Amino acid sequence: MSSTAAAGAIDHHHDSTTVTGIPNKKLLMWAFLASDCMFFGCLISTHLIYRLHPPPGTPNARDVFSIELTSFSTFILLMSSLMMALAVNSIQKGNLKSLRWSLLTTILFGLIFLGCQVYEFRNFVFEKHLTITNSILGTTFFTLTGTHGLHVLIGVIWLTIMLLYSFTGRLTEKDAIDVESMGLYWHFVDIVWIVIFTAVYLLEYI
Amino acid sequence: MSAPATHAPASGHELEQSKFWIFVQLAMLLAVITGLELVTVYLPFMKWILVGALVVLSTVKFMFVIFYFMHLRWDKAFCTILFFIGLVLAGGTMWALLKLFGAEASKPLTLSSPAAIVRTVA
Repeated sequence: MSSTAAAGAIDHHHDSTTVTGIPNKKLLMWAFLASDCMFFGCLISTHLIYRLHPPPGTPNARDVFSIELTSFSTFILLMSSLMMALAVNSIQKGNLKSLRWSLLTTILFGLIFLGCQVYEFRNFVFEKHLTITNSILGTTFFTLTGTHGLHVLIGVIWLTIMLLYSFTGRLTEKDAIDVESMGLYWHFVDIVWIVIFTAVYLLEYI
Repeated sequence: MSAPATHAPASGHELEQSKFWIFVQLAMLLAVITGLELVTVYLPFMKWILVGALVVLSTVKFMFVIFYFMHLRWDKAFCTILFFIGLVLAGGTMWALLKLFGAEASKPLTLSSPAAIVRTVA
């Protein structure tokens, strides 16, 4: 154990017990996120390629999309990122009460985002008649945004488990790295949406 | 890079406090940038200017989130390098694919122009 840890103070960003000085859990998460970048990069490229040369009969995306709803979803996800950052800040200071409120708010924002996405998908399928099988636009759009939505859902489940775990009394300041790793995942979901919002939605309005 | 908390406990506490306000201000800034993006698409400028503006604005948002919310600013440089390896690979793949499929020769042939199909095959 390092002298830092022995003294009771916790250095949340560096871990002298590993060769890199970075906690293994954090390193694992960064490696995973780097690989996930490539995964989403391919999905976004596929969507953009088919938008470059839309086959005849492809519906006009501007007639299908609702920019107001998507902007609201984007705002909600950005605010959830703020609450996640505050949650990490709270556990690093050992403030469990603040951590719980921050986690709860993040979960609520995540659920609102998912609710908006479900509403959007229902609207597209039943009102605009855009399905995953009836056009290239539908196929690439639903695959991309659906995969992102799945990531958000996994994040919400992870956050809920962490929130419940905080009530067991076993989550302390020393476990801050667990919350931080979860936070990295949640922020990644946010940055992917930042790219999707511009590349998939806003570019259609130019 | 932040100094270990044991060496300067007061400055460490101040850093944690200042982080709170940094995060709040940053969230507001991100919301404002999102609003700017929305306004941008309705501006009567040339397409390449608007696309460029959107790319710049979303890149700024992206960088703010990874360097502040994801703590890369305060973490070891290795985390930044590791993440940027994935990011560069993803960006390179996207750029290459869009270049390849954006080329004139990559336009899909349609049945509405059989003469063009014959010319291409020949």
